[in-house]
Amino acid sequence: MVFYQLSWLILLAPLFSFVVIIFGTRVWDLLSRPRVAAAEAHGSDAHDEYDLDDDEDPQVAYLTMGALVSGYVGIAIMALACLYSWLLLLNTAGAITIAPPLPGSGITVLSYVWYMQEGVNYVISFHVDNLAIVMMVVVTTISLLVQFYSQGYMENSAGYARFFSYLSLFSFSMLDIVFAQNFLVIFVGWELVGLSSYLLIGFWINKQAKPLEDRPQPASAAIQAFIVNRIGDVGFLIGIMILFVNTGTFEFSQLATKVQSMDKGLLTLAMILVFCGAIGKSAQVPLQIWLPTAMEGPTPVSALIHAATMVAAGVYMVARTFPLFAAADPAAFQVVAWIGGFTAIFAATIALVQTDFKRVLAFSTISQLGYMFVGLGVAGSVYNNGPGMFHLFTHAFFKALLFLGAGSVIHMLHHATHKEVQDMRLMGGLSKYMPITAITWLIATLSISGFPFFAGFYSKDTIIALAYTNGYYGLWAVTWVTAGLTAFYMLRAYILAFGGKGGSWGGLWGGEGVYRGEGVPQESPLTITIPLILLAIPSVIAGYWFSFFTYLNPTAPSLNFGEIIADWRTYPGIVVALLGFAWAYTLYTRVDLAKINVFVQGNTVLRVLHRILLHKYYIDDLYDLFVRYVVFGISHVVQAFDTYIIDGLVNGTARLVTTFGRDLRHVETGKVQTYMFGFFGGLAVLALVVIVLVTVIK
Amino acid sequence: MDLVTVIFWIIAVILVGSALLVVTQRNIVHSALALVIVFAMAAGIYLLLNAEFIAIVQILIYAGAVTILILFALMLTRTSNIQLNSNPINRQWWLAVIVSTFVGAIIVYAAAVSPHAVADVSNGSGQLPAGISNVARIGQLLYSPTTYSYVLPFEIASVVLLVAIVGAIVIGRED
Amino acid sequence: MGLSLNHYLVLGAVLFCIGLYGALAKRNGVAVLMGIEIMLNAVNITMVAFSFYNKVPPYATYFTCQIFAIFIITVAAAEVAVALAMIIAIYRKRSSVDVGEIDFMKW
Repeated sequence: MVFYQLSWLILLAPLFSFVVIIFGTRVWDLLSRPRVAAAEAHGSDAHDEYDLDDDEDPQVAYLTMGALVSGYVGIAIMALACLYSWLLLLNTAGAITIAPPLPGSGITVLSYVWYMQEGVNYVISFHVDNLAIVMMVVVTTISLLVQFYSQGYMENSAGYARFFSYLSLFSFSMLDIVFAQNFLVIFVGWELVGLSSYLLIGFWINKQAKPLEDRPQPASAAIQAFIVNRIGDVGFLIGIMILFVNTGTFEFSQLATKVQSMDKGLLTLAMILVFCGAIGKSAQVPLQIWLPTAMEGPTPVSALIHAATMVAAGVYMVARTFPLFAAADPAAFQVVAWIGGFTAIFAATIALVQTDFKRVLAFSTISQLGYMFVGLGVAGSVYNNGPGMFHLFTHAFFKALLFLGAGSVIHMLHHATHKEVQDMRLMGGLSKYMPITAITWLIATLSISGFPFFAGFYSKDTIIALAYTNGYYGLWAVTWVTAGLTAFYMLRAYILAFGGKGGSWGGLWGGEGVYRGEGVPQESPLTITIPLILLAIPSVIAGYWFSFFTYLNPTAPSLNFGEIIADWRTYPGIVVALLGFAWAYTLYTRVDLAKINVFVQGNTVLRVLHRILLHKYYIDDLYDLFVRYVVFGISHVVQAFDTYIIDGLVNGTARLVTTFGRDLRHVETGKVQTYMFGFFGGLAVLALVVIVLVTVIK
Repeated sequence: MDLVTVIFWIIAVILVGSALLVVTQRNIVHSALALVIVFAMAAGIYLLLNAEFIAIVQILIYAGAVTILILFALMLTRTSNIQLNSNPINRQWWLAVIVSTFVGAIIVYAAAVSPHAVADVSNGSGQLPAGISNVARIGQLLYSPTTYSYVLPFEIASVVLLVAIVGAIVIGRED
Repeated sequence: MGLSLNHYLVLGAVLFCIGLYGALAKRNGVAVLMGIEIMLNAVNITMVAFSFYNKVPPYATYFTCQIFAIFIITVAAAEVAVALAMIIAIYRKRSSVDVGEIDFMKW
């Protein structure tokens, strides 16, 4: 049991590394910088047509010892935490035996009573159970690989140490959510990941906006992410409060029993509100706007936060509170599933026409998160939170791989062209120059599209099949179509970036004259490619953990390879994925990009459709109008109230006193006779008063 | 109507009349001269009240010293037009009329209703027990070494006079 | 109609009233001073009248008011001296004795 009891070390390890880096090694780094101004690594020849220096990422000529040690500290500590969590996983899954298996309800590993009184009990408590271990493994592994990757990606950056400290802070926040045993702690972690996300997205503080590419400044993107998250958190908090008021507790385990006696309608409302937090955090419709703009941050950030972990926090939270959803009206699950399904197809359609490499992946993430919520919504009491979590598990690996691969491409193109290139129209045939990146990216593409026998196939098709089995035919149709769309746009992205017309292997690989950009790219250094290779492995084999469902819920059935092959419901998924692939393949390896553009612009229907999708259904503009006119309008009214009424009251009082004084001082005329008048006049009045009083009293 | 009453009324009328002259004359020297009449008539009143010493002191000091002092001051602070302009009335003279009549009315009313004033003591025109003169009586009261005397106030009064002399010299110096 | 205390009191009140008017309504400093002198005289008359009409034993207290009157005269004389010295000093500075113009202590 000590083996489990010490797992709070995993939780606090990244916090420890954050503190060490911020107060120790970063200070060391800053103090040991050379006194001259930081040398620009690219020189002054990097001007594009906007006459701005690209990416405004302050560079240093070489990294000081302090900065390098910051990196090593972060990586070493995360490696230890990762090892420990893998040991926990292997032990509880039965592969090795270090300690007896966990009881189903988990073990509390750290508990601190914050405030206890009659009727009110605030405890900060952390626990481990199988669900937490799964998530823990995902978080620590991806975090470790991303930190390793950042050594190469953020080389020569002036903020190197700061980056690692923020990564560690984020890991701690995410683990706080994972280990949380009650709503209070999960909310703390919730907000902390929001903060870390803000810090990391806005990492390049001085970077300018690029309006022609529809890219805002990272600082604005960070604020948008934080605020949209906050909007979801309002619902989250209200939901928590409703639950607390009606059951008197925040603990998940106690809530699971106490909500049985709660009013069904109120419970459903509370759970839908709690789900609002997940909508905000996991970028579902209508709060999906922040995720594409969050791509302004460095790519390792996108990989860690917006692919694998933070956005999955919403899914994890719903999985954690699954018994509460189950106890509520089925409408709660319907809401979860339908929002997930709608978001899935919504984002997939938008991803079809995006030209920015990272934007495609962002919308793909939103779409896959929709899948996870569908999985949670349609599972029913038999499978519990199995399918949703399974897709989260596999998705983390291949999405991180996709993002890191994209980062590798962007990094090397930056070196080659001295500009920040993210537009796929300027790429093509890159697999000739970056073979490792290309192969791992292809593996991830196949996995995400549900190509048979890769990881994504098992998790995705389980969800699609389950939707049909449990009677959600509408959702089945939605997820089925989305699978096809996913295959299409992922292969499109692959071909546009790594392949192209005229390449070898029928256009899937690069060749002469396929590259549409400038300069000569090269393969990325080892620090970048090793994580790619390491992530490619689970992208294939993670799906083969068939007893995943049983691992999470002992009563759930596990997947069976034979059953999957035999079941007819598997095949529509495969068919539609292959169709998507075929269509993308024939379109992008046979036809010139320019010709496709001309065709689309020529046809009216296609042109309008293209424009709507390119502008993300104009929802961003809608929100912009709303904020500008409604929100700012209200704030102007309130400000006017504050300026004129409240300040007027305060200033008016002061002005009253001043005026009173200024007019009262004229009593002092300085003339003796005035004073005598006052004297004798007052005497007369007083005497009168006395006489009146005396006669009256007498 | 006996002699005392007649004399009282004559003196009173002249007194009040010259007081009015003091406060209404435009020419300030005329006011000063009317003031002399006021002082003299006041001395007359004192005589009626069997206070000869006070009457003499009044003539000596008021009608003598104070009047001369005032006339000297008038001489030293001469304005351009003595005849018409030297004693102008204030703008708020109507307010002064109101206030002063009010005050006067109150004093009269208080005198009228007060028991001390109304209760006329038995020996009204007060004959004293022995034939000692007023001056002697005042002297006894002022300087006697017995417990009931006003020696201390007398000494203090002399200090006051000293201070006044020194002050007047200092203030009125030309520097 | 025999004389009584009331006659003298009313006389004193009227004189006080007239003196007050003079002190309040005149612009010349010396005239104000003359008004004050009239007020003091009125008070003296009242004092001496009380000493004449209210003879309450013991005998020594018959003349208290007259002593008071003497002191009033003394102090009044001193005050007139000082006041006139001040007026002369002001006249030297400003060439006028208009009390309406002496308002240096105003707001």
